[in-house]
Amino acid sequence: MSALTDSMNTIHSLEEMAEAKTIIHRLHPMVKLVTTFLYIILVVSFDPYNVTGLVVFLFYPVILMALAEIPYKPLLKRLLVALPFSFFAGISNIYFNQNAAFMVGNTPITYGVISFFSIMIKTVFTVMGVLILIATTPLPQISYQLLVIKVPKIIVEQIMLTYRYISVLLEQVSNMYTAYILRAPDAKGIKMKDMGIFVGQLLLKSFDRAENIYFAMKCRGYDGHYLYAKPDPMKKSDWIFMLSTCGMLILLRFFNLSQFIGSFLQ
Amino acid sequence: MIYFKDLSYSYPDGHAAIKNVNLEIKDGESIALVGANGAGKSSLFKLIVGISDIGEGSIQVDGVSVEKKTLKDIRRKVGMVFQNPDDQLFMTKVYDDVAFGPRNELLSETEVEQRVNQALEVLGIIHLKDRMPHRLSGGEKRIIAIASVLSMDPNIILFDEPTSFLDPKARRNVMETLGKLAMTKIIATHDLDMALDICDRVIILHHGSVFADGSVKDILLNEELLLNCHLELPLCMQRCKTCKN
Amino acid sequence: MHMADALLSPAVGGIMLAASAGAIAYSAYKCKDDLDEKKIPLMGVMGAVIFAGQMINFTIPGTGSSGHIGGGILLAALLGPFPAFLVISTVLLIQALFFADGGLLALGANIWNMGFYACLLVYPLIFKPIVKKGFTPRRIAVAAILSVTIALLGGAFSVVIETLASGITELPFTAFLGLMMPIHLAIGIVEGIVTAGVLVFVYKMRPEILESSLINKKISSGLSLKKVSVTLLIFAALLGGGFSLFASSNPDGLEWAMNGVAGTTQIIATGGVHENAADVQKTTAVLPGYGFKSTDGQGSAAGKSVAGLLGGGLTLLLAGGTGYIIYAVKRKKEKSA
Repeated sequence: MSALTDSMNTIHSLEEMAEAKTIIHRLHPMVKLVTTFLYIILVVSFDPYNVTGLVVFLFYPVILMALAEIPYKPLLKRLLVALPFSFFAGISNIYFNQNAAFMVGNTPITYGVISFFSIMIKTVFTVMGVLILIATTPLPQISYQLLVIKVPKIIVEQIMLTYRYISVLLEQVSNMYTAYILRAPDAKGIKMKDMGIFVGQLLLKSFDRAENIYFAMKCRGYDGHYLYAKPDPMKKSDWIFMLSTCGMLILLRFFNLSQFIGSFLQ
Repeated sequence: MIYFKDLSYSYPDGHAAIKNVNLEIKDGESIALVGANGAGKSSLFKLIVGISDIGEGSIQVDGVSVEKKTLKDIRRKVGMVFQNPDDQLFMTKVYDDVAFGPRNELLSETEVEQRVNQALEVLGIIHLKDRMPHRLSGGEKRIIAIASVLSMDPNIILFDEPTSFLDPKARRNVMETLGKLAMTKIIATHDLDMALDICDRVIILHHGSVFADGSVKDILLNEELLLNCHLELPLCMQRCKTCKN
Repeated sequence: MHMADALLSPAVGGIMLAASAGAIAYSAYKCKDDLDEKKIPLMGVMGAVIFAGQMINFTIPGTGSSGHIGGGILLAALLGPFPAFLVISTVLLIQALFFADGGLLALGANIWNMGFYACLLVYPLIFKPIVKKGFTPRRIAVAAILSVTIALLGGAFSVVIETLASGITELPFTAFLGLMMPIHLAIGIVEGIVTAGVLVFVYKMRPEILESSLINKKISSGLSLKKVSVTLLIFAALLGGGFSLFASSNPDGLEWAMNGVAGTTQIIATGGVHENAADVQKTTAVLPGYGFKSTDGQGSAAGKSVAGLLGGGLTLLLAGGTGYIIYAVKRKKEKSA
């Protein structure tokens, strides 16, 4: 099924991207986690009518995507997922707020329109931020950092295990689905009445698989505790990058660069 | 050394899986455990490493009897390579999978690194150290699964169908790998050609009992014997006019 | 129902992250001592199953549209509430990172909306009591359909609250609700039927799976009504706190939010239960005429000037240009290398 193979490909390509060795990739994962989070928070902290201050925040993702050599195609795919709801919310704003904010020539620009753009831009920026994170940091590394910030071990173990078996399960489901469809040629999906058996079988097989995995673990001495190597500590260069980037972002949040530039045009 | 004495085991539903098995396995032997599906090969393996509980009789590994309280010890002596490497490799990095066993033995991280590198080098896959297992081919996963057991430095390794689902090149690779290993090996397999290639002794299980036990030559060239337990001659023998005489 | 970062304010996002973190910590605590260690790999595999399972397209007869399973109630019935909650959280994290299905700041909200209600509230309070007397296909079906629907409605309701509290959308409360609830009611019933089908199948083939997650008293020692009300009170207090935080940073936003909500409650009060044309008219008349945002007091006076607009456009160009220059330099370096 195309959704399944699509997902497989998406995960694979992100994994491959994360294995590159650019300067951004080599940064400590904690740095990237912190800056991504700060970036998202600052972007969404803009009120709905401050679009000019907001657009300044394009610098961060564009620069990082260039430095990390991340292609723009995956970004477009992600936006397709994230934009629809934002689009709907934005459009409703255009409808519900028709008070004019200012005029451009003879055209009034309403508050609704401004907030529409604000939502759309925020969506694009935040999606870019997360893309940069995942395209430069393999998930296992991110998970290790979660351990550092005291996320319960069991959750980190679950992230690793789930991630490990996603490709296996996607393939299994894909095979099961194909086997079904080939015997129901005009069906456009699993028939609802067959979902019980279809998913049920998948679950039963998965229970068996999990049991085998458990045996394999026990045979290698597993006693309930995963033991991981300690992640590398942060280097001086990591600290410098993190503090300077965060500082700059915070500065940009409160100093309206657009207005500053615009004032030169007046 | 492994001793099986009057070993019996039944499934939870009552069906007998192993019936009165008596065997002696010496150090360093390379044994092919063959039999039709359902003959009891996997059950026997599960009994050795304590995944299933012995019904009657006993198994002794290097003088230690297989019981609940000795399992930790037994599992250090006996490693088992599962048929499906996706069941065996559950970490997100090859290094971590191969390190899993040593880490559970609470070795220091330097010792763990030593064991891991050693295992990977012996098997010729040190270049896969930092890769993610779920991205590798079936053949590569098989070898890594072997490495994950090898890093525990066992005296005995059990292999459950090591060449199933592999393409010829991967299969050849696995066979060569197995040939390199010096410790006691028990290989459950349908691949009689492989058994002919790398094993010196063959044990046939049939309906849970030992049907035959002898050298590779005595067993794998004995067509009548093989047919009696739902097996047949290795393929390479089936066309060979010299051997047939 | 996955919320994007752009639809939340930092305050609401932060509150929901805290709430979910608390729920996760609690679930992890509950799993630590009492969990059969066999469940660890099972939870991991189930996470992958749900992830893959959510991509299965099933056709809904008579409508020609397709549906997907969610998983909260399904997982809770198979694993118990606390492991299920952890699994759902994991799946949502992976979806957010790899597919932009939900944002990172919004992860807390998504875990709450799609995991908390199903696993930690609805399962112990609705599903379990129904099947406690014994598993029969009918009881499973009723329990599943009811649970999935209520959990989904709870989640949808939270989405509305969270979005409105963030002050991002100007969609009025009733309109938003009126959109979200019926849709999710329909989705819930369909998903509930499928969940029921799956559980009935699993029960027929391997009854011990469902029974063991029920019996395991230690893990699923459910939530007493007292705990539930305390949780909801905390949620309300946090949200209320969020409101005031929001208020102090953005008076106009709160004013608008209060207008939107107050306006509709007024309508409900006067209109009473009967919905006649007049009342409906009042509703529709009131909304467009709302003077939603007063122009002053906005931190973004800049946004309203043409200078700001031009400056903004120029900034965009500068940012894009910087990126392009970096690419160009890198290409050149690679070529000469």
